[in-house]
Amino acid sequence: MNELDKDSWAGRARTLLDESAEGLDAATLSRLNRARQIALAQARPRAAQRWFLPAGLASACVLLLAVAVWHWQVPSGAARLPELPFAASASAAGSDIDLVSGDDNLELYQDLEFYAWLDAQDQGSDG
Amino acid sequence: MHTMTPTIPLTLAASWISERVDAAKDDERTLDQFLKGIERRALRMAELATANRDEALDLVQDAMFGFVRHYATKPADEWSPLFYRVLDSRLNDWHRRRHVRSRWLAVFTRDPEDDETDEIAQAPDVNDPGPLLRLAGGEAARDLDAALGRLPLRQRQAFLLRVWEGFDVAATANAMRCSEGSVKTHLSRALTALRRALEDHA
Repeated sequence: MNELDKDSWAGRARTLLDESAEGLDAATLSRLNRARQIALAQARPRAAQRWFLPAGLASACVLLLAVAVWHWQVPSGAARLPELPFAASASAAGSDIDLVSGDDNLELYQDLEFYAWLDAQDQGSDG
Repeated sequence: MHTMTPTIPLTLAASWISERVDAAKDDERTLDQFLKGIERRALRMAELATANRDEALDLVQDAMFGFVRHYATKPADEWSPLFYRVLDSRLNDWHRRRHVRSRWLAVFTRDPEDDETDEIAQAPDVNDPGPLLRLAGGEAARDLDAALGRLPLRQRQAFLLRVWEGFDVAATANAMRCSEGSVKTHLSRALTALRRALEDHA
């Protein structure tokens, strides 16, 4: 700054430059304004996009929470189906083949209602 | 009861998004005010570098565009040096392009001023209080513009950023992407050249 202090005319130069900037004509100012608006306009979609991800995540979380709460509350009064024995309740595709091919399992399948009744009896005696 | 529970987080999410939208509008207003406050000086700076208002306007618009794209998310107190950094980069690019073009044109044209040097006009007057103080407003402004226009780009930028913008050496170095020592050298040479040039025109 010492060098600038020594050149006191630099202050005068600053004043002249300020005056030249303030004295710009209306047409130039209008073009500057337009340039500024164009520059700002490109920031708008980016600002919006910046919130797309968090807003989307928040919405997804809220939706998930709503579904979870709804599922948690609905099954309380509904009747439960009797549980099947292990061989019948296996979910793999192979278990279906066993059901059809095995003699014991075919018999079990035919007596399914009996096992369901038996299970209900067991639950009644437990409770 | 079942439908009421999810509405609470939904309301919170809507409120949060609304707050973010308001904050984004505030950010844009702040950015607009900053650019509005700096655009005139930026234009004059570009005009001094190009000697052409249309090209200066294009450069300023380009600088605004680049600044908003790359630095708008930075803290507002860092904006000013960053904006001039972008503008300085655009001016350098423009200068480089023009230099290449002028080298080709120089093959076919010759500047008559190259042969004219006035030795008497270049002799400094040590008792003079300052070249600009002797001149009336309009004439001084024109002479200052002409003298600044003749400075090399880096010297002019150092002078304008330090003297006009009031940046310190570190901020000027940041804006010009050079060392602080280079800023001091450019400024010293600019002050010497300006003093001499303005004395010539008095």
